[in-house]
Amino acid sequence: MIRPKGVLLGSVSIVVSFVIFVVPFLFVLVTAMKDRNEANLLQFSWPTRIVLWDNLVQVVQARDYQLVIAFVNSTTLTVCSVAILVILGAMVAFVLQRRPGRWTRIADFLVLAGLIVPPAVVPTIWALQKIGLFRTMTGLILIEVAFGISFTVLLFKAFIATIPRELDEAAALDGAGPIRMFFQVIFPVLRSVIVTVVVVQSVAVFNDFANPLYFLPGDENATVQLTLFNFSSQFTSQYNLLFTDILLITIPPLLMFLFFNRQIVAGQTSGAIKG
Amino acid sequence: MTVNFSRSRALAVTAGTLALTACSAGSLRADAGGGSTAGAVSLTYLVDNGDATVKLANQVTKDFMAANPGITVKVDTRPGGTDGDNLIKTRLSTGDMSDMFLYNSGSLFQALKPETNLVPLSDQPWANNLDANFKTTVTSGDAVYGAPIGSFFAGAMLYNTKVYATLGLKVPTTWAEFMANNAKIKAAGITLVIQTYGDTWTSQLFVLGDFHNVAAAEPSFATEYTANKIKYATNPAALEGFQRLEQVFKAGYLNKNFASAKLNDGLKLLGDGTGAQYPMLTAVVQGLYDTDAATKQSIGVFPIPGDDAATNGLTVWAPNGVYIPKTTTGAKLDAAKKFVAFLASPAGCTSQTTGVTPTGPYAVKGCTLPTDVPQVVKDTVSYFDKKDGTSPALEFLSPVKGPSLEQITVEVGSGITSAAAGAARYDEDVKKQAQQLGLAGW
Repeated sequence: MIRPKGVLLGSVSIVVSFVIFVVPFLFVLVTAMKDRNEANLLQFSWPTRIVLWDNLVQVVQARDYQLVIAFVNSTTLTVCSVAILVILGAMVAFVLQRRPGRWTRIADFLVLAGLIVPPAVVPTIWALQKIGLFRTMTGLILIEVAFGISFTVLLFKAFIATIPRELDEAAALDGAGPIRMFFQVIFPVLRSVIVTVVVVQSVAVFNDFANPLYFLPGDENATVQLTLFNFSSQFTSQYNLLFTDILLITIPPLLMFLFFNRQIVAGQTSGAIKG
Repeated sequence: MTVNFSRSRALAVTAGTLALTACSAGSLRADAGGGSTAGAVSLTYLVDNGDATVKLANQVTKDFMAANPGITVKVDTRPGGTDGDNLIKTRLSTGDMSDMFLYNSGSLFQALKPETNLVPLSDQPWANNLDANFKTTVTSGDAVYGAPIGSFFAGAMLYNTKVYATLGLKVPTTWAEFMANNAKIKAAGITLVIQTYGDTWTSQLFVLGDFHNVAAAEPSFATEYTANKIKYATNPAALEGFQRLEQVFKAGYLNKNFASAKLNDGLKLLGDGTGAQYPMLTAVVQGLYDTDAATKQSIGVFPIPGDDAATNGLTVWAPNGVYIPKTTTGAKLDAAKKFVAFLASPAGCTSQTTGVTPTGPYAVKGCTLPTDVPQVVKDTVSYFDKKDGTSPALEFLSPVKGPSLEQITVEVGSGITSAAAGAARYDEDVKKQAQQLGLAGW
């Protein structure tokens, strides 16, 4: 059973995804292999001399091994904020969905407000300075959590609405307290939507440029996105090093996608139907 | 049993999260000021992340620390452009600025509200030793706030001296001579004028670099312009910048890919002799030296020619300044003052020259340039040596600069808008900005 229409559609989507995802990646790769003169031409061509290793060494050593520190910082930031977002977001969503009332209506409003109201930099810095969290990793993690929590709660809430209440009641009848009910009964059922949240928020936090720039200044506090600016300025750009840096930064999300490929697809489709 | 196990697992997850949260930003370096002797001061110095700026900053801090053993200076970097501007203003207004920082002089410096944010340095002995042109660009009210870092550079016509030599051309001193040269270059099949509208800011040089000619024709242009008494569209001298931009396009003098080419492409065309002339800031040639060392000799510069050979001269940009915010106090303030004094001394200039090749003369009296500077620098210096040979660019004399000039010059330079219409639109553009600044007369 070969359906011509399906074959055509399939081929087109393969070509389109090739152009959109693979071509830019190949461009990054070949530019990262070139020397500075050739890379500055920004042409999509095979390098005449492959100097990928030299570029890698230069990028890693730049500014006193800043990239290594940046990777440590970015990993800490991403892992901590996403972990808090998942656990806290699921807890909040569970309570909001299961116990409607006057207070939850206010909370709902605040969650929506978090999506709509744009954050302002200077007042946020003042607030952080007052509580002594400015210029600390903890402060930045809390900021990332604050910016991501609204979306996360809405996602979890929509999903929890599809879990039958009977499940909670059965657990309660068997003598489970609220904490145990949440962690042992509800949390495992949320698996697919957790994967969605982890993917979406990890990418958002890992790629964030503006927040680390403003809320965690200083060279020793740089995250990987900030290191890109070492190789690109108004007058001179070292495209070979810039693209090598991009290549290195792309690897962690890429690995994550390769390892969690199946769960991600499953998570997003299930979220799509039930959410 | 399972119950206990799961509960302890949940606890472990929570505890792990907390432990991770508690860890601070990673650091592989030992703390710079940690184990040093008592009385030691450690300062932070914030610079933009330009290649040359960082090299310069590392060199001067190294030499400064060698001369002042009790003080350590750590260089921090920030992005350039709009991100950098916002960052500086944010950190100043939240009281979180580094102990010293590098920033533009001129109108961008005025926008920092120096009176409320910066430490006045007029009482420092070096303040009287500054070049008069530079001094005005870091002065607000009666006080001087900054010491110069780097050197003067020009906004003018870069040209390939080899092309000029082969064709037997002379450096033009008037626009008519320039156009006569162009006829000969065109006959040789070489691109006459390089334009790179892929980087829009590069399109402004015909207008901004023409200011020496404007000032020669209208000596009080800057003050009248700030007071809204004179306009680009109605003043014939000022309008010429726009007209010349239009003229080179209409004559078909531009490189074929002018609409999409980037700064790097333009420099390459100029360096390998496929293009003869490129109106540009001379500071950017540094990028060309890194990739092609021969260009140090083969690229020269001449002012954008005006109507009168007698007033031929260079429009120059002042060096950046180093400022101390009011949040730096006590022993740190004393150390920071020592650092800026070092920058504004002949020893500081020597140190800067070791770090990067200067782009023109230094803004401190008593500083000398080495003899082996590139051709562009030699040419630039020759106009500084001439009486009335240079004028600061308009942005150092007047706070009025419209944000859309680069878009407008791209339109005029690619024949979309006429010179007159472009100039009129620019006058509209600056009006909004002047009103935001609250200037009188707008």
